[in-house]
Parts: sequence; structure tokens; C-alpha cells
Amino acid sequence: MQQFADYLLDEGILAGLPKSLGYALVIAFFAFVLLNFIMLVAGVTSWLERRVWARIQSRVGPNRVGPQGAIQWLADGIKNIMKEDIVPTAADKPLFKAAPYLAMIGFFGAWACVPFGDGLIIADLNVGVLYITAVTGLVVVGILMAGWSSNNKWALLGGMRSAAQIVSYEIPAAIAVNAVIVLTGTLSMQGIIRAQGWAPWNWFLFDNPFTFVAFFIFFVALLAEGNRTPFDLPEAESELVAGAFTEYSGLRSLLFFLVEWGNLYIIGALCTSLFLGGWQTPHFTDNGFVLGLVQFVVFFLKSYFLVFVAMWIRATLPRVRVDQLMSLCWKYLVPISFVNLLGAMLWVVAFPHGFLPARLGMFLFGIMVTIYFLMRVAFHLRRARPEMSWNPIA
Amino acid sequence: MSTHAIDVDVLRETGQGIATEEMTLNMGPQHPSTHGVLRFVVKADGEVMRRAIPDIGYLHRSIEKIAEKVGYHGFMPYTDRVDYVSAMQCNQGWAMACEALAGIKVPRRGEYCRVIASEFGRLASHLLSVGATGMDIGAVTPFTHAIREREYINDILEELCGARLTFNYMRIGGCAWDLPPGFVGRATKFLDRFEPLIDEYNELISFNKIYVERLANVAVIPREMAIAYNLVGPNLRGSGVKYDVRKDAPYSVYPEFEFDVPVGTGERGTLGDSYDRYMVRMREMKESCKILRQALAGIPEGPVVAKVPRTFRPPVGEAYVRVEASRGDMGWFVVSDGTAFPYRVHIRTGSFAAMAIIEELSKGLMIADLVAVIATLDIVAPEVDR
Amino acid sequence: MGLGTYVRNIRETLETIFEGMAITASHFVRKPFTIQYPDRTEIRVQDSLPFRYRGLLDVDLEICTGCLACERACPIDCIVIDAEKDKQTKEMILKRFDIDLAKCMYCGLCSEPCPTGSIHHTPEFEGADYSLESLVRRFVKAPLVAYKPPKGPETDPEVAPILARGLRYLDEFASPGDPKAGE
Repeated sequence: MQQFADYLLDEGILAGLPKSLGYALVIAFFAFVLLNFIMLVAGVTSWLERRVWARIQSRVGPNRVGPQGAIQWLADGIKNIMKEDIVPTAADKPLFKAAPYLAMIGFFGAWACVPFGDGLIIADLNVGVLYITAVTGLVVVGILMAGWSSNNKWALLGGMRSAAQIVSYEIPAAIAVNAVIVLTGTLSMQGIIRAQGWAPWNWFLFDNPFTFVAFFIFFVALLAEGNRTPFDLPEAESELVAGAFTEYSGLRSLLFFLVEWGNLYIIGALCTSLFLGGWQTPHFTDNGFVLGLVQFVVFFLKSYFLVFVAMWIRATLPRVRVDQLMSLCWKYLVPISFVNLLGAMLWVVAFPHGFLPARLGMFLFGIMVTIYFLMRVAFHLRRARPEMSWNPIA
Repeated sequence: MSTHAIDVDVLRETGQGIATEEMTLNMGPQHPSTHGVLRFVVKADGEVMRRAIPDIGYLHRSIEKIAEKVGYHGFMPYTDRVDYVSAMQCNQGWAMACEALAGIKVPRRGEYCRVIASEFGRLASHLLSVGATGMDIGAVTPFTHAIREREYINDILEELCGARLTFNYMRIGGCAWDLPPGFVGRATKFLDRFEPLIDEYNELISFNKIYVERLANVAVIPREMAIAYNLVGPNLRGSGVKYDVRKDAPYSVYPEFEFDVPVGTGERGTLGDSYDRYMVRMREMKESCKILRQALAGIPEGPVVAKVPRTFRPPVGEAYVRVEASRGDMGWFVVSDGTAFPYRVHIRTGSFAAMAIIEELSKGLMIADLVAVIATLDIVAPEVDR
Repeated sequence: MGLGTYVRNIRETLETIFEGMAITASHFVRKPFTIQYPDRTEIRVQDSLPFRYRGLLDVDLEICTGCLACERACPIDCIVIDAEKDKQTKEMILKRFDIDLAKCMYCGLCSEPCPTGSIHHTPEFEGADYSLESLVRRFVKAPLVAYKPPKGPETDPEVAPILARGLRYLDEFASPGDPKAGE
């Protein structure tokens, strides 16, 4: 983005303006574009999640507003904005009001380092991964503030759970990422993507067994950080009513949900960048615009597939208990990720330039798991003998 | 593996815990997982409960008193409301109590119709119970799958008696209506479809590691405690006591059918834990399917209802009958003074006993466990209060 | 916790989650079961209900004998009938036949003792209304003479089809045919 701003200042429409003002204008413009993009992605995600859930549950889901309910999220958003913004009398009012914005800031800040394509990134920081991990940690402050200031015991429990959960799961996530970082030697998101190739066996997911394990640890830890099932304890509808968000209504509650669904895309984008080859495509054309567009689409689809997997997981798994959440983190994920990091380091020492047979082997393993999975799906279909419908929207 | 319960006081005295203030939480009457309107006053230390005190009476509708005002025939629709999740067995209990008073013999075909209706009712009730357990543990999909199958059962019962929830199917002396045309075929078809789905349901949720961890070793009710607290039905059988009214005090035509009484085995934890109670219900559904197949295949010819006068005046006396309802041994006590209205009616229900054990069970459990305990004890609020 | 338990826990977790995901994935190609009541169904939901469905009550006054059997059978007294015997003509005059649908619990006890099938359940179930008063169905608009079954078969061309329908309603409850018969 800096190059773009410099270009505009030197020869573009902003020529002649003071440099700082020009930068501010460009930043404001990109923030506006990005915010709209996030709203759209979060909104569509909320609708899609309901449709995916519905299909898994033999239902139809929202299909009335717009074609197949595609603008249901807009209707929900408008409804929420028009609702009364209730602040409980006994609440700690300044904190209560500020909490959703704080969560929003932490979440929005992370997007600065989320890549969309080759060169399509707001700021390619050289500490990109570290920055995202750090800045999303701010969301927990928002949720904790919401839980505390609501003056509601359910909300307090939810907020406390959230704090414990996010602080704990930062650790396995950070260690798992290191398995990739030792391979590339950079923390920059674009640098990590450039170190991979477009072909699946050039992805870090299949690079060696250790990155394969690291991917799953990272994904699980991110799910926990994003308060997704099976780790949705801060919200835990059947236990804590609505957890930390119990007392929120209207726009403020909407912001929390925006954070939740927007975060989902960040989870997908992070995993895609670090393990699934990011925006890498074959260099099939010299037209920079077309190539950029294809890269953007490829990256978006990969990320969105992971978002879809998160939805699918949410529809499948029950919720863990608080103590189990902690024991899963500290007894399983943290030790395994440490051992895994050690293994990844040894691997880099042994094969500094990668090891192709291992890559192909891992890729083959991935394909075999997928085939076995499809066989199980077929088995369940044969056993239940349901009415079939291949139409995805019916 | 030790059972999951944390003694807050021990932790505090040994200096392991942090001294915190005791928190009083009000769980219910409006809470997502207190099905119906239950209320618990939870004394908690952070996430750990010291105890949960059940507060009953939110759904009291004086059903027993109503019986004294509406007469024997007229009370039948009210019995649907005693336990609206499995109304068929309540119907049967009341009909059997009145028949015992007047010494009426039900035609064999009528008994078969009753068994078919009751077992479908049990399937529907257990489906709701296991589905709601999954829902309370946080898995949303099993609930809708269970409800989907329950809708099919409701369709079948609707065809049989015209209603989906408050059936009012049985009458004193038999059943209101005979099986409709094509009923046996459709019911068998449903069973063929449903039985593999029980396995699928097990693989989707019951064997899921997270689910097992949430239920196993939680809220263990030892055998002696279950008997002392008067638990009945699947809750009692989950503790390893093989007691089923259909076997131990046979009524209707149940002795003619072959079926097992599943009991808890402690397969994933301790005998009598929440998981055992849950699995007993899963297995009972299979047994109900077995009974249904036998009943549908062997249904005799004849009338479904005995001749009973419209103004029913049983002789002076009293009767107590027991039926195995979905929530266990359900007792129906009726006293007649020779008039057209009962002198006194009392109903003994399983959920009431299950409600009483919660305070004892809840010590040292987590708040998330209380939800699992309510769900696996299968408490239906209207049955607690009547 | 030994190493064996540790590894077994991980293995069981992965296996069971894998299996559960396979089942949920298989639902992507299963047909949804939703009936999109009321506007997106193939036929009206009311028409798809079984014969015995106990919906809103209806009364055919043409064949009501004014015997008060339904009023007596109703456990909640939601049926109110005023019937008087005319001193001169010796005929039953129906002055009032009200059913309070707000009270009615659709138990069906009233339709059973009816000798002609006059009071019966319909498959209609959409009874929502804005006030409790409008839920009271007043069937008798002006006093009318109750039906008196003739000795032989019914000959009045206006009443005969209604009576035939009412008697069929009673018949199908009494002897519905062979339950083992096919669809």
C-alpha cells in the first residue's frame, strides 16, 4: 500500500499534497474499502452458515429475503440497527459502551496484514504473523470488558471463560506457526506465501509431517481463539444464556457478531497463507490485472473453504467443558506442538532445501484420507437410505 | 479414572484454591436449557457449583384436583398434559386405573393397539430426550435429527388418533379407534428406516469423544443412592438396577413380547454416570422397535374397546396401577366413592423423584455439568408439578 | 495418566470426529425434510392431514338433533346449547349452539357420542384471531327446529347428503377397514 500511496503522491491525483496528509487520505480510503469488504464477508458468512447448518440438519434455512435468502444478513443487520440500544441501569456504563468497539478494533486491526493477492495487502509488515497474533488478542479485552461491565453473573462467567481461553490458546497457535517460520525464515505473510508454490505438494501443509500436524494444531487453536464450536464457551447458549453478550442489544450486539463472523474469515486467510499456498497460482498470463484477479479469487476460495469447514465443525461437534478446554490446551496441544516444533527444526537441518519424496508422500496421504472420508460418507448414505438431493440450494 | 467432582472446601482448606466469594446464580425459570420452566438456585464458586437447589411449582396446574371435577371419561384428555412428551402412557395409566376399579376386561386387540401406541410414544419421548441432551452439550445437529424422526412418529400417531401431542387415544375399556387402513405397512416401513438411524445417531454423537468426556463420570448415581432416592425408569436402570414395570409387574400384553431391559454398564466411566443414563435410552429405543415389530405382526382380530357405559360409575373402592412410562414407573391411584366423579386421584411420576436427587448430585459439579444432569435425568417440567 | 491413555485419547478423538464429520457431510446430499408451511407446499397442508385429524370443530345444524350429548361429554364446558321443546308442535327448538374455541382442547370427546355426526372435527387448524370473543363460534343465528331422524331412510334431498357425510364420519371411526391393507 505504501508504494501505491507514494505513487499517488508523486504522479497520481494526490500530487502536491503534504506527504502526511496524502498518507492519511490513502489510509482512510483503504480502511473504508476494507470495512465494507469485511461487512460483506461477515454478513454473507452469517447467512451461509445458517444455510450450511440447515442443510446438515435436514432443514432449509433462511430462503425468503432475496434470492434463496441471500440478503437475509442485510435484513438482520437493519433490524439490529433499528433496535433499542439498552444499557442496563446497574452496568458500568462507559465500559459497557466501549467494549464492542474495542473488540472491533482488535479484529479490524488484524486485517491490515491479511493478504488478498500478490501485492494486494494493506501493509506487508516484516512481523506480519506476530502482528496478527498480537492484535487479535485485543478482542479478548473487549469481551472481558463486556462480561465485567454488564453486571450480570452469566456475562461475567462468559467473559472470564473467554479470557482464560484466548490467553491459553495463543500459545499452541504461536508455537505451531513456528514450524512454518523455521522453514521460511520470515514472519512476513507475503514472504511465507512466496516460499510456497501453486501445486498442492508445494504447500507447507504437505511439506513434511510436522507442518501437517502444525496445521491442525494451528486451526484448532484459532477456532478456540475465535470462540467457535467446540470452543464456544464464552457464548455457550445452553449454559450461560448468551455468555458475555447477554445484556447487549441492537447495534452493539451486532458488532460482536460481526467480530465473530469476520474473525472466521481471518482464521481461513491465516491458515491459507501459512499452510495452503496463499494466493499462489501458475503464472499463466502476463496481464497483471487478470493474474491479480485470479490470485484474489484463488485465495478467497481457499480461505472460504476453511470457513466452510469451521461451519461444518460447528454443526457436528458438541462443546467442551471449561476444565477440558484447559486440559486440551495444556496437556495436549502445547506439548504436541513443542515436540512438533522440535521435529520441524530437525527436518530443516536435515533437508535445508526440502525433500520432494516426503512432499509427494504427504500429498498422497492427504488424498488417501480424503478418499477414505468419501467412502465413509457413501457408507452412511447407503445405510440410512435417505431421499437424495444433489441440488445445493434445495 | 476418578469421577468428576471438585470439592471446593477441600481445595480451599488445603490452600490449593483461591478464596472467592460464593455466588448465587438464578438458573431459570427462563433459561435455554431448563426445558420448560424449571428453576435452580445455584450456589457457585466460580464455575464450580456448591449446590443447585431445585425450585419446583412453576407448572402446577392442579391436574389431580381437576379429575375430581370432570369425571372418569372427561379426565382422559387431561392425562395427556401430565407428561406431554409421552402422553400415551399417561392415557394408558388412567384407563388401567379405571378398569381396575370397575373390573373391566380390555379386548386383546385393544391391548395390542395400546402397546403399539405406547411404544411409539416411548420412541418419541426418548428421541426428544437424547436430542435435547445433545443440544444442551452444545451439539445442535443431533437435536434436529432426533426431532425429524419424532415428526414421523407424530405423523403415525396423528393418523392413529388425530393429534400430534395430546393424543387422547385410549378410553376406559380399550382404545378410541382401531388402526387405520394401511397403518401396519406404514409403521413397519418407518421402523425399517428408523432402526439404522439409531446407529447413525450413535456414531454422530454418542461415541463422539467430546460428548463422552462431557457425560462420562459426571453426576454418578450409585445403585444404592438411586434406590434410596426412588429413581425409576431409565434413570434407575442407568445405575445398574434391572427394574422395568413391563417385566417385573407385567401389565397389558407385554408378557407376550420378547424384549430386553437395557441397564447401565459403566462402559465409558463409572456405573450410574450421565453417559449410562443416556445410553440406556438409546438402547431402549431399539427394544421398543423390537416390541413394535412383534405387536404389529401379531395383532389379533376383534373389537378394540369393551362395552363401557357412558356415565361411568365404578363401585366404591380404590385402585393403584403402575405403567412403565418413558420416565419410568408411573403410578396412578384413584379412589371411587361410587359417584360419577373420582373422590381422589394421585399420580406418582418419575421426574419428581429425579428432581429431588439434583441437589445431592450437584455438589462439586461445574455449571456446565448441571445442564447435562438435567438433560440426562430427562426431567419434564409438567410431570414434576402436574 | 499413562502414555497409553494419552495416545488412546488422541486417537479416539480423531476417529470419532472423523466419523461424525462424515455423517454430517452425508447430509449435504440428503433432501431437506422441511415443509414450508403455508405458502410453499405442493398441496394445502390441511388437505394432506389424515382423516382423523382433530382440527377446529364444526357443526352441521341441519342434522343436529339437539340431544345435548356433546355438551355433556365436553370436559371443559366449551359447548353451550339452548334447546327447548316447543309445547305446541312437540319439536326441539335450538336457540343457541356456541362453541368457545378459545377453551376447546380438541380432545374429540364431543364428536364420539353424536348420533348423526353433526358435530365433527375439520382438518382446519388456523384459528388465530384478534380477540377471545371472536373465537366463540355461534352456530345458531336464528332459532331453528332440530333434526328429527325419520323412521326410514332420509328422503329430504337437502339433508340426505349431509347426513350421509355425518354417518360416514361416525362409521370410519367405528370400523375403518383392514389396517394390514396396503396403501
